[in-house]
Amino acid sequence: MIDSRQAAAALADIDDIVQRVRQSQLYELASLAAVWWGVLVFVANVVTWLWPIYAVYAWVAADALGIGGLVVLRVMNPPQHPGGAAASVRLLLVFVLFFAFGYLCTNVIGHFGPRQLGTFWPLYFMLFYTLAGLWFGYAFVAIGLGISALTLFGFFYIGEAFPLWMAFVNGGGLILGGLWMRRI
Amino acid sequence: MAELDDIIHQPLRLKIMAALNALPATSGLEFSRLKKLTGATDGNLGAHIETLAKAGYVSVEKAFVGKKPQTTVTATAAGRGAFARHVATLQEIIAGKQS
Repeated sequence: MIDSRQAAAALADIDDIVQRVRQSQLYELASLAAVWWGVLVFVANVVTWLWPIYAVYAWVAADALGIGGLVVLRVMNPPQHPGGAAASVRLLLVFVLFFAFGYLCTNVIGHFGPRQLGTFWPLYFMLFYTLAGLWFGYAFVAIGLGISALTLFGFFYIGEAFPLWMAFVNGGGLILGGLWMRRI
Repeated sequence: MAELDDIIHQPLRLKIMAALNALPATSGLEFSRLKKLTGATDGNLGAHIETLAKAGYVSVEKAFVGKKPQTTVTATAAGRGAFARHVATLQEIIAGKQS
């Protein structure tokens, strides 16, 4: 038989591994979501660069498909805790508020041009990504800050090819970040 | 008075069972992921999974994904029960009901 100190150490080991499993599952789901959004963002930016008149359609389609993909992920991986349904509703509300506030900033308070829009949305998205990372894992923080820094660099220093830059920085960054999460 | 489960109590096997128990009942973990989570070597992990499988605590499924072999380990109902009893015993020891 073991003493209480050894028993406490064994329970601490259990807690530690359970946390790591949960983190790993979260990274796996987040990785799928990041890769999916990365592909959509890449395509939408390339469309914006090649055919600017179709940009608005490309972005509406990218946002709709992106959120649709998240819903599918959620349905295929339902939360295991009892408050799961309420958490799903809260997550949906987060997206509604996210897009509503973004729209308010870019179209009501300010009237952003294509370049400003192409900078604002990735920065805004990555701000949430980084903030979420403070709770859910350093990978989110690293991806969020990395893409934000490259987005700002592009805004100030990249000329006409800014949408193409963003295709690789934002779209490619999300894809690479997502693949990296699977390896952590 | 409950006894500690000798099979589960070994540190690496405890980690394996804890990791598998953190998943929904029908879900398992791939060998490579389990290796990363527990920090064990291939040989060590394989040997301890075999011990758990012999006790009926885990099931091991081998399949090919493309040309790559993939081993998935899942906790059985017996394994989950044994793990829950083991954790309860550890908690009793801490509470001073056993020594």
